Amino acid sequence: MKNDRNSFVFRLVITLFVILAINFFLPRIMPGDPFSTTSEDDSGDEVIIMTEEQRLYYMSYYGLDKPVHEQFLVYLKNLLKADLGRSIYYKMPVSDVIMLHLPWTMMIVFGSTVISTVAGVILGTFSAKNRKKGSDRLMMAGMIAFAEIPSFLLGLILLLAFSVHFRLFPLAGAITPFAHYSGPVEQLWDILYHAFLPVMTLSLAQLTGVYLLTRNTLITVTTKDYIRTARAKGLGEKTVWTRHALRNALLPVVTRAGFMIGIMMGGVVLVESVFSYPGIGMTLRSAVVGRDYPLIQGILLVIAVSILICNLLVDKIYSKLDPRVAI
Amino acid sequence: MSLLKINDLKCHYQTEINTVKAVDGVSFEIEEGEILGIVGESGSGKTTAALSIMGLLPENTAITGEITYKDNVISSLSEAEMDRFRWKDIAIVFQNGIEVLNPVMRVGVQVIEPMLKHLDISPDEARSKCADLFTTVHLDPKWMDSYPHQLSGGMRQRVILAMALSCDPKLLILDEVTSALDAFTRKEIRDLLVELQEKNGYTMLMISHDITFVSSVASRVVVMYSGKVVETGPVKDVLISPRHPYTRGLIHSTPDIFVYKDLWGIPGDISAGSGFKGCPFFSRCTQKTSKCNETTPALIPVGGGREIACHRGGIAGLLQASDLSYSYRLPDGQYLKAVDDVDLEIMEGEVLAIVGQTGSGKSTLAHILANVIQPATGNVSFMGENTNAENYGSRLNGVQIVFQDPFNSTSNRFTVIDAIKEPLDINKIGSEEERVQMAKDCLELVHLPNNDIFLSKYCGELSGGQRQRVALARAMVMQPKLLIADEVTSALDVSTSANVMRLLKGLQNRRGFAMIYISHDLSMTLKIADRICVMNHGRIVEMGNSHDVMLSPSHEYTKRLVGSKISV
Repeated sequence: MKNDRNSFVFRLVITLFVILAINFFLPRIMPGDPFSTTSEDDSGDEVIIMTEEQRLYYMSYYGLDKPVHEQFLVYLKNLLKADLGRSIYYKMPVSDVIMLHLPWTMMIVFGSTVISTVAGVILGTFSAKNRKKGSDRLMMAGMIAFAEIPSFLLGLILLLAFSVHFRLFPLAGAITPFAHYSGPVEQLWDILYHAFLPVMTLSLAQLTGVYLLTRNTLITVTTKDYIRTARAKGLGEKTVWTRHALRNALLPVVTRAGFMIGIMMGGVVLVESVFSYPGIGMTLRSAVVGRDYPLIQGILLVIAVSILICNLLVDKIYSKLDPRVAI
Repeated sequence: MSLLKINDLKCHYQTEINTVKAVDGVSFEIEEGEILGIVGESGSGKTTAALSIMGLLPENTAITGEITYKDNVISSLSEAEMDRFRWKDIAIVFQNGIEVLNPVMRVGVQVIEPMLKHLDISPDEARSKCADLFTTVHLDPKWMDSYPHQLSGGMRQRVILAMALSCDPKLLILDEVTSALDAFTRKEIRDLLVELQEKNGYTMLMISHDITFVSSVASRVVVMYSGKVVETGPVKDVLISPRHPYTRGLIHSTPDIFVYKDLWGIPGDISAGSGFKGCPFFSRCTQKTSKCNETTPALIPVGGGREIACHRGGIAGLLQASDLSYSYRLPDGQYLKAVDDVDLEIMEGEVLAIVGQTGSGKSTLAHILANVIQPATGNVSFMGENTNAENYGSRLNGVQIVFQDPFNSTSNRFTVIDAIKEPLDINKIGSEEERVQMAKDCLELVHLPNNDIFLSKYCGELSGGQRQRVALARAMVMQPKLLIADEVTSALDVSTSANVMRLLKGLQNRRGFAMIYISHDLSMTLKIADRICVMNHGRIVEMGNSHDVMLSPSHEYTKRLVGSKISV
């Protein structure tokens, strides 16, 4: 037991170190530096053109003129003090920038995970119950074809259709700018209104995976002996399906949902860009464009850590759900 | 009135490739309070029959026939209607498997679940009833809160049993309840079932391939083979004198009944193919006729509450001998009665051992049965024909004898090939080429080389073991229905005789001929014989199943014979 725990912590430390190293060196391998942004840049932001003298001043101000390995050691030392550094672009601590944008991302990621999981389980159950019938075949073919559309393209289609053409939803942002709310309900409504399309895009992109997993697991589960036992007990089809079949089929679905949260934290960049949604994905994009090293490092670290946390949570939840793996 | 009645039930699994007739025209009844056993090998359709009673067969099963429970035809009910009968009237104890119980539910909850559904009972009452049930099946109620994987196989089987008893069913179906358990647990479960039956008078349908287990609990037994019933009857009668060749094969391959005998399964596999119209046991039967290949025999009552499905009316007699006696004239003019008023019957496919000390008349009897010498009185009939009318030793499918001493029974001056095909030559069977081929085939049967070098060797050049095998091949070349082996191993050393014995029994098992094995060696006899007949002073003093005769001899002489074994 103790050995297991030790080796677990050891592996975690190694993983974190590798992530940190990649996070640190990857931005620096990219061409350019934070202070040589040129007007050709397509970010559309205000372009600051500096003289060579100014550039060197700022480089030494942020410590970027030192040898790379020294910078890395400083970075690690600061990290131990929970200091992620200062964003060059925002001129404020990286942690503050992340805290400003992370909640938006978390909201759409969690929201879409819940929606896609619930919808996928319902559709998957329907399909499994009607296995080999027309409705199942049609649904499966449709779902698989649908899954081939990349999420950013799907986002673009939704944006063009519902925001540009029908003008039902906003084009950008997470809240109406400069809005005054008469109460929290109105504020919540505004937030949901803006989040609707990004959440839908992410949900739809996830849906097929959950659907197929639920359907196929259910089909496997319904051939198990305990389903026959439940039928023999005369419990009725509804109980057999929910309490016995679905309860067992949900184990891998829950696992998948947990992993997907982590993976989506990184994958959300494209969807946030399409909807100009101010989450960490968008922030990461502008940080990359501006070569904002500390911010890039900070966001990548947050994403990596959230994936690790999600994996850990999945392990914990799974052992709660399935008594066979409980220690 | 019977509690459950099954009438001409057919369950055919329809896959995309073919149709599997798992149950094919089965009828039986279970009386209230009775324990009925269904036995048969795996694949015989026992479990399918049980599942069809519960209405649990998969959707791709075509079911015809009628299952009547009390006055309700339950075979035609919908799922929802069937749920009214499930568990409350008919419950099933499944074969113990790791996934028979839901792996993510506590076992207590799984036992309580049907009570809440079918009985008018509160959750607290159900829980206390569950604890009582656990005590009934000798399981500590503290295990109620554990998960299936935390229990041992025996404990899980008890939980499954407690679960089946939870709604006090009228009919309890037990499907292979002990097959996965060790002998100790098996005994405990058996005792528990008997105890429950005595206390509560459950009607039980017990399905198992374990004929000893079934016969220790059930009162009647149904023997199934390839989806059909081949024999039914009171369990003790069936066990002691099986009438169908399959039942006999099943009993003979049960080590619990034949403790000392070597294990020899029933050779061959179930006759398959949906186009096959004959008897399902055809391909493995030792007494088939052409009729067996054409029509399926019906189950016919044969008296004593027994029914049997066999065109030949069950295991047929092969050779009958009555009132045989034979005397040798001694030099002093006295007569020595070697065989004295012997009656004997050999059934198709069985191995009968005749044991007795030297001079008890065994060999003389063997020679009479083989038609080598004529009896003074009495007669022998083979397959219903009197031996005086036709010599059954000189034709194919007759009687052949292998003698004690291979050095005298095969001529030194004969080559191997001549020795083996001699009976064919004498009786003018087949062309010369066919005779050589038959001889070569027989050499292969007895595990001797059949190349030209070996064929042209003289018998005098061979070792004792080889010569005895040549003698055996010479008998086999006539494809006998009955082989008489007269002390065939007594002239051989231990290892060679063991090889010859295994060869002999293997041939018998595979080819299905009957065998009379004559020996004074009890230990050897026990390894191969189905029945034993003990001779002393020319008379048969005791005859019965080999294990009965050896384990509990009734005659004084047999007791002495058994007692005279030298133990190490």
